[in-house]
Amino acid sequence: MRNPLNKRLPRELRANAGKYIGLLLIFVVTIMVGSAFMVALDCSNNALKENEKECLVEDGQFELLEKLDKEVLEELSKHGITLCSNFYSSTNGYNKNAKIITFNERNEMNLPSIFEGKLPSTDNEVAIDRLFAYNNNLSVGDEIELLGNKFIISATISLPDYTSLFKNNQDLMMNAYDFGVSIVTEEGFEKFDENQITYRYSYRFNDTSLTYDEKNEIVTDIQTTLVQNGANIQSYLTAKENQSITFLKLDMGKDGPVMQVFIHILILVIAFVFTILANNTIESEAAIIGTLRASGYHKYEIVLHYLWPTIIIALIGSIIGNILGYSIMLEPFKNLYYSTYCLPPMELSFNTNAFITTTILPILIMILTNVIILYKKLSLSPLKFLRKDLKKKKQKKAIHLPMFSFINRFRIRIILQNKVNYLILFFGIFISSFLLMFGIGLKPLMEHYCEEIDDTLPYEYQYILKTPEEIDDVTAEKMQLYNLVTYYKLGDLDINVSFMGITDDTKYFKNIKLPDKEGCITVTKPLAQKLNLKIGDKITFEDEYTNKEYSLEVTEICTYTSSMGVFMKIQQLNNMLNLDTASYNSYISNEKLPINESNIIKYITRDDLIGTTLQMLDSFNGIFEIVNVFSILIYIVIMYILTKTVIEKNSLYISFMKVFGYKTKEINKLYLNATTFTVIVSLFICIPIEIICFKYALVYISSLIEGYLPFYLPTSVYITILLTGIIAYLLINSLLILKVRKIPMNEALKNRE
Amino acid sequence: MKIKINDIHKFYGENESRVEVLKGIDCEINDGEICVLLGPSGSGKSTLLNIIGGIESADSGNIEIGDSNTLNMNEKDLTLYRRNHLGFVFQFYNLIPNLTVKENIEVCAYISSNPLDIDELLNVLGLYEHKDKIPSQLSGGQQQRCAIGRALVKNPAILLCDEPTGALDYHTSKEILTLIERINKKYNNTIIIVTHNDAIKNMANRVLKMHDGQITQNYINEAPISATDLDW
Repeated sequence: MRNPLNKRLPRELRANAGKYIGLLLIFVVTIMVGSAFMVALDCSNNALKENEKECLVEDGQFELLEKLDKEVLEELSKHGITLCSNFYSSTNGYNKNAKIITFNERNEMNLPSIFEGKLPSTDNEVAIDRLFAYNNNLSVGDEIELLGNKFIISATISLPDYTSLFKNNQDLMMNAYDFGVSIVTEEGFEKFDENQITYRYSYRFNDTSLTYDEKNEIVTDIQTTLVQNGANIQSYLTAKENQSITFLKLDMGKDGPVMQVFIHILILVIAFVFTILANNTIESEAAIIGTLRASGYHKYEIVLHYLWPTIIIALIGSIIGNILGYSIMLEPFKNLYYSTYCLPPMELSFNTNAFITTTILPILIMILTNVIILYKKLSLSPLKFLRKDLKKKKQKKAIHLPMFSFINRFRIRIILQNKVNYLILFFGIFISSFLLMFGIGLKPLMEHYCEEIDDTLPYEYQYILKTPEEIDDVTAEKMQLYNLVTYYKLGDLDINVSFMGITDDTKYFKNIKLPDKEGCITVTKPLAQKLNLKIGDKITFEDEYTNKEYSLEVTEICTYTSSMGVFMKIQQLNNMLNLDTASYNSYISNEKLPINESNIIKYITRDDLIGTTLQMLDSFNGIFEIVNVFSILIYIVIMYILTKTVIEKNSLYISFMKVFGYKTKEINKLYLNATTFTVIVSLFICIPIEIICFKYALVYISSLIEGYLPFYLPTSVYITILLTGIIAYLLINSLLILKVRKIPMNEALKNRE
Repeated sequence: MKIKINDIHKFYGENESRVEVLKGIDCEINDGEICVLLGPSGSGKSTLLNIIGGIESADSGNIEIGDSNTLNMNEKDLTLYRRNHLGFVFQFYNLIPNLTVKENIEVCAYISSNPLDIDELLNVLGLYEHKDKIPSQLSGGQQQRCAIGRALVKNPAILLCDEPTGALDYHTSKEILTLIERINKKYNNTIIIVTHNDAIKNMANRVLKMHDGQITQNYINEAPISATDLDW
């Protein structure tokens, strides 16, 4: 015989459709958002990794004034590299400001990946970067003029050596609107004048297992050979130094942790909602459970029976969530990357990690939570269930209340009677508004971060030089910049710290007190906050290249927020690094400086520094919107489930009230206003607690990334959270009013226990 | 199945508020007897019934049921004991509201190794035409009949009825008692009925009167009358 209790399932699901649909909705959305994000991130990551492998991305490149002879090419090849020409011509002023560089056909290295169309096959065809084409309204079949020659776009592509479109490697920001790359056939390339060609050579190491030092040795050998053969080197970049190759990889690593925090919070919410439901089910079905137990049903049989709705919701939710995640939601998350970077076409594949995190884990949590609660409750004797006596501690006396009006005393009794429910409701409100705080708070936080950088950055321009270069400009100030790493215990990672050696007579950092003593440092506020540093603390830094360690004492903490850095006197920094005391490698200035462009490694302006953060903010916009919608959804579902539970628990008494002659309006006043009061008080109390948690969450997020996000939330965020909570509750309240109206009077007559 | 109750003591509360609700109960109920356990509220009759039913434990003493002794039973044994030998009928029916009459009875048939034929039982109970109704569509008497059916479907050796007519009117109560009597005759189970209705003792084979945790009277009713002839 099939277990007749199973026949209850469809009826149970139908009878409590609202509750189960709400839960299903949360579950579907959690899985959908989580899996879509993780799949998009992982697939993009895989696409990038595969692309680097399959399309043979270069290990380095150099640009020369002239073509290399065959002999020199052969000599260079002896250094253990595969070398190939990667010549290009630049078209400036396309669409007024844009620059397009057009490469000769590529067959050996940095091979293109096609999005649409086919690679050029005739001399009048060009394949153009997908993102640049999109940003400039170009599509396959359009005509484009490059250096006076007309070409038809035959394909949109991505190039592995240009996954981020940096016009110059020194730039702080990429720019896919004003800078694009393209490829033509060899015949097509011949259309360009020789004086319009830049002779770039790209290479790959033959041995893929080389160490950092071995690679460096080969680079030195290549440069020596080039110099010995009279080559005029215009630029030399290893892949590691090439932002167009590395920037995306570094950026991708930062998004995952933020989203994982988000997913974990959601899983917590779900587990918590199911805990409440399991508890309520047991309480409302106590007599039935007692009867079943008295009739000889085993605990596990009852547990299994009450577990079925959870299992069904979890399974349906995970199926729908995954389908939606892999189909509809994937596009917006994919666009987070594809609208900023020139990634190769992404191949959608099943992601085990995403499936475990977003599906298996929540299902397990839900089932385990239910099993634990059910088993714990079922440890009570069948008699206790039959008597509906499920509380371990009994209230011995009525709580004495002050002489409030009857209505208020009644409401207080309702709150006291349902204190556990209200406590859980408080927790639900807390989690929902905490998520909302994230959704609407991160944008102003990052904007404020930009403003702080703007306020505290004392100079307009920074030039990082290859070699020291004396210039005659009164606004220029020399600086020694060096990166060391330190171990960050909380995040279990090494973080980069910028060491800034500044001159004694600095014009730009007058407010920063520099230690006189050797081995002492002034640290910036972001670094101190991230590492939780106090004056007097000692930290160890390591040089990644030499493996040399430096133990330094913090003697000052300065309010400079533009970098996770350390300030020292330039001579002291040089001494520590065993450099010449007069050595420097950068200039800061309020004016543009007349520095030889080929001597600049990096050129940073105030706008660049702020622009990078804003650009990051821009790419997050889609996520913020999803988080907001999701938080509001959770607000509504959780409030609905929990407030409905209070009404359900009291339905017998509400029924009694009706029998006594109370009007629905009066009953609402008694029961619903108690809930309204709890919701509003919870919303207000939650704010300061959320602020504390938000600060901790920022510390956590900062622990996973290299930077540090200081706390800031404008008043408008708090007002929005409160208003959203109140509006969500008002919506639910109207549903509850309907529910109260529907409670029949005969409920009181039927339940005579 | 014969039930032998040996020196059962039960206490509630602690320290000053400790109350002895059963003060050394000794008695025997023979196989196939209808035993009525009479007494005022607080006399301990429901507690004794619960102890016999293995849903409450005694502080001392033991109960021998057939070859088993509750003293040596752990929780799992008690579950099996209830599953295999006992049927419970409660004052407030405790039917599952979203199952039909037949399904409510199936709930216990499902865990029984040798259940009675449900349709036949429904006929015996007079519920056959109501078998597809849910409890809220039934009268109190019909709900109690359904609850009896649920207890009975396992064909238990012992049927424990805790105030089975406590929530019913005169006519319905008699209907239920008649049903219990018929069942006893048909299935020959030992039936213990807890009640504070003194009239019910007249249909019993054995009467146990309780007062203040003690059995004050234990006698065989030599001439039990039919439940239909009961009056109060």
